[in-house]
Amino acid sequence: MYYQLINFGNEEFHAYPNKSLYWKRLNTLIISDLHIGKSISYAKNKQFLPPYDTKEILNKIFVSLDKIKPSNLIIVGDFLHDAFSTLSIKDQDNRNLSQYTKNTDFIWIKGNHDKNIQIEGFKNFTNYKIEKFLFTHIPIETSLFQICGHYHPKVKIVHRGKTIFKTSFVHNEKIFILPSFGILTGGLDINSKEISDVLGKKNLNIYPVGQDKVYKL
Amino acid sequence: MNINKSNPLLLHPLNKWMKKKKWSWFPHQIETFRHVRTGSDVVVFAPTGAGKTLTGFINPIDDLIKLKKFKGLHTLYISPLKSLANDIVRNLEKPIKELDLHISFQVRTGDTTPYKKQKQKQKPPNILITTPESLALLNSYENAKEFFHNLKYIIIDEIHTFLDNKRADLLSLNIERLQTFSPNLQRIGLSATLKNKQDAKKWLCRKKPKIVSYENSVLPKINILESKKRIPWSGHMATYSINEIYKEIMKSKLTIIFVNTRAQAEYMFKNLWLINKKKLKIAVHHGSLEKNLRLKVENNLSKGLVDCVVATSSLELGLDYGDVEKIIQVGAPKGINRLLQRVGRSNHNLNTPSKAILVPTNRFEFIEAKAAIEEIKKNNLDKIDLKEGSFDVVAQHIFATACAGQFDIDDLYKEIIKAYPYKKLKLNDFKQLINLIQDGGYVLKNYDQFKRIFQLRENKNIYKLVHKRETQKYRMNVGTIIENPMLKIKLGTKTLGNIEEVFIQNLSQGDSFIFAGQVLEFQSMKNNLVQVKRSKSLISKIPSYSGGRMPLSTNLANSVRALLAKSNMWDLYPEQITEWLKRQKNISKIPKKDEYLVEQFPRKKNFYTVVYTFAGWHANQTLGFLLLRGFKEFNYKPLGFVANDYAIVLWSLKEAKEIKTILNLGLLDKHLDNYLEETSIVKRLFRDNAIISCLIERRLPGMEKTGKQVLFSSDLIYTVLKKNEPDHILLKSSYKDAKKNMIDYERLREILKKIDKKIILKKLTSISPLAVPIILEINRENLSKKETDEYILEDLENEILKEANVLSIN
Repeated sequence: MYYQLINFGNEEFHAYPNKSLYWKRLNTLIISDLHIGKSISYAKNKQFLPPYDTKEILNKIFVSLDKIKPSNLIIVGDFLHDAFSTLSIKDQDNRNLSQYTKNTDFIWIKGNHDKNIQIEGFKNFTNYKIEKFLFTHIPIETSLFQICGHYHPKVKIVHRGKTIFKTSFVHNEKIFILPSFGILTGGLDINSKEISDVLGKKNLNIYPVGQDKVYKL
Repeated sequence: MNINKSNPLLLHPLNKWMKKKKWSWFPHQIETFRHVRTGSDVVVFAPTGAGKTLTGFINPIDDLIKLKKFKGLHTLYISPLKSLANDIVRNLEKPIKELDLHISFQVRTGDTTPYKKQKQKQKPPNILITTPESLALLNSYENAKEFFHNLKYIIIDEIHTFLDNKRADLLSLNIERLQTFSPNLQRIGLSATLKNKQDAKKWLCRKKPKIVSYENSVLPKINILESKKRIPWSGHMATYSINEIYKEIMKSKLTIIFVNTRAQAEYMFKNLWLINKKKLKIAVHHGSLEKNLRLKVENNLSKGLVDCVVATSSLELGLDYGDVEKIIQVGAPKGINRLLQRVGRSNHNLNTPSKAILVPTNRFEFIEAKAAIEEIKKNNLDKIDLKEGSFDVVAQHIFATACAGQFDIDDLYKEIIKAYPYKKLKLNDFKQLINLIQDGGYVLKNYDQFKRIFQLRENKNIYKLVHKRETQKYRMNVGTIIENPMLKIKLGTKTLGNIEEVFIQNLSQGDSFIFAGQVLEFQSMKNNLVQVKRSKSLISKIPSYSGGRMPLSTNLANSVRALLAKSNMWDLYPEQITEWLKRQKNISKIPKKDEYLVEQFPRKKNFYTVVYTFAGWHANQTLGFLLLRGFKEFNYKPLGFVANDYAIVLWSLKEAKEIKTILNLGLLDKHLDNYLEETSIVKRLFRDNAIISCLIERRLPGMEKTGKQVLFSSDLIYTVLKKNEPDHILLKSSYKDAKKNMIDYERLREILKKIDKKIILKKLTSISPLAVPIILEINRENLSKKETDEYILEDLENEILKEANVLSIN
């Protein structure tokens, strides 16, 4: 798999087209905003989305873990869409999540969607510090470098008269926002007020995710 | 007119009123009256001005008077437009009030107040005038059966606009429902003249079907605008003839200028104002304008307060504007029926001809305009193809049925297959649609606990809605018309109208564009509002609207081909056209009526292949893509293609020597699925399907996204479904829609079936005169969405890299 090299806080990170981020020196894989069980949650409201998102997301994780064999997997929030989602995992986890938790440390940072839910074998945290980096769902006031999720950033590209939107990795000097690793999750424009309030508008490094490649703007 | 002494209408309650007005009954009115009275379902074909509306009401009024103070709903009148429904009420009011008849009548549309609707349900009028959507809603109420059980007549106005789309499917299902409620119901259809009258009859009539037809012997007078300037090679804006168009407006009391797109309307309007020295009152009218602005224009039009209105198809149907003297059609007519409909907007007096002037905007359009005039003289109309009904509409209908109360699926199925579009609906597909409404209909049974409708334990054939609140969701999502995401345009606090989101996304702050006849400057976009200010700039982008591009009709295409081949006519054309065709004949060839000309020539470093199919834009677009695939297989290294109504041009690095081997039916069978997949056609239709079948909810005004993450998009659903459950009924439904609508599948199939024996291949040393117009259209990319996205990213990255290198060298 091709990756895009990203330097953030003087460390080398690899951004993959499957929307995961790899921290090479510490052999740590980082993902965010999976929203597992979103389809079930909508079904409660009689909007019957295809019930395959959980299976697909889990498979995506397993494929990454098989390939990279990281020591740690950090999920920076919204692993689950809501309390119902654990059911969804039980139903469709045919390759057994617990098998992977043996070899990889799952570090689950709680997001706004899953803050009150527990899963066996998962350590959970409101945020998690490694050296000068803080892993948190939504950025907080701190002097540390922060790696977070929550916003599902996408970038609007206008080029030669055409407009496209692409899911993106994005960071400024101190804050890094991951794209959503989910299947049925939408995105939020990097220029929106919500993201600008966090990252500002200037000196952004934006990495749109293509079919098999992460680009750099 | 000579009135037959045995005319039964002389005893009709309206006869007194007719006499007072010094009007006499038309023969088709007498005929219709007789047929309906003896129990027939009837379709009446008559031109505008021949008392069509009255024809529909003759029997109901007669019946109501005889029944004396009939209580409850007696007659339902279905109109395609809300505005038309209001107009019908005004027309009905005159005789009923003047004769003091005891008949009550009301209108019910989306604009009717909830209070009035409630009252109508409690105390229905004798005659209710409504739209297909409002009828569907009425049928979803629990008391629908009581409401309709005495219904005697249903009148479908402008039935020719209802025959080939999803709205027609919805209407057909609801008519069958009414028939179930009231088995004695009789159907009356009112239509403009059609070629395939039998099809309209099959669609509507069940009981002793009858056709009544009245042909107007006075033909319209249609001419092509004579211009001193040259008709351009290509383009669609008619700038060359603006002064002559202006002169034509001055000559007539009231003119409507019809154009083909909203962009053309804005452009034409602006250009007329620039030369409006006589200060004529000119207005613009199209579907994106704010309702109040549109109503104002319509009002001024009917009162004769304007000199000219530039309009799109938004003014094709609807109210009679008696004072319109002349129609100017700018751009290709595209079809005979459409042109006649437009021409018919002028002069509603049956005995004097309508007057129209055609303004071709390029050379092919000149031939097309000529051909259209010829066909109208011969009264050779376009056929309207009846198509199999769409699945998503059935799904919506199932939901509606459940809202009205528990139902038996066998009964429902039997009722549905009585509707003409669903004669061939398979029981298995129907059951899958039941499942779709129940819980999404997935193979994976995850949603058992969340069902929307469920089977009764004691009788598995009976289904019931789980909760009454679901009816609210149905009512929010009723209907088959799905608009593109639109944004409101605000000038200060005033709303000017709606514009496609896609268009606004391409603008930067300060960019100007024309809308509602003004040059506007884009300032900002917030919460689905586009803030603009008046611009002093004269340079502007034109709103480019995605919709509204109609393909050339097969009938007119054939006529264009025949006319091209008639070289003895050429000398009658303007010199430049004659010259153009003669040079084509010398350098290459003018194809005969049944021949398919293919030209190949080198140009710049590439090889060009032009295929003249005259198959219409949709079919050519598809064929272009298929050829691109074929060229790839033969390793010709194709670079792209462009299609218009008449031809396709492909350019490749290598010469496509085996074009005759590639161009046949096999090409279609081999690559069609691929085509549907790679261009986002099916994906786009899937969105409509998901909304119409109520799988996902409509984005209604006021509940749009407010800057937060989009909840989910139909594209994501499509991708997940495609991967995991490719046989899902909604995917099947989207493919079906794609084949029948978007790509003119059957039309292309017909051409490819016979093309290989009819290809005339011309190898040329350079571009031919006939190829010039389409070559000029090359500059739009025609890659698939997926490819385009990657291409844009790649290109942008390269540009930035280049820039970075340059900077570091400096």
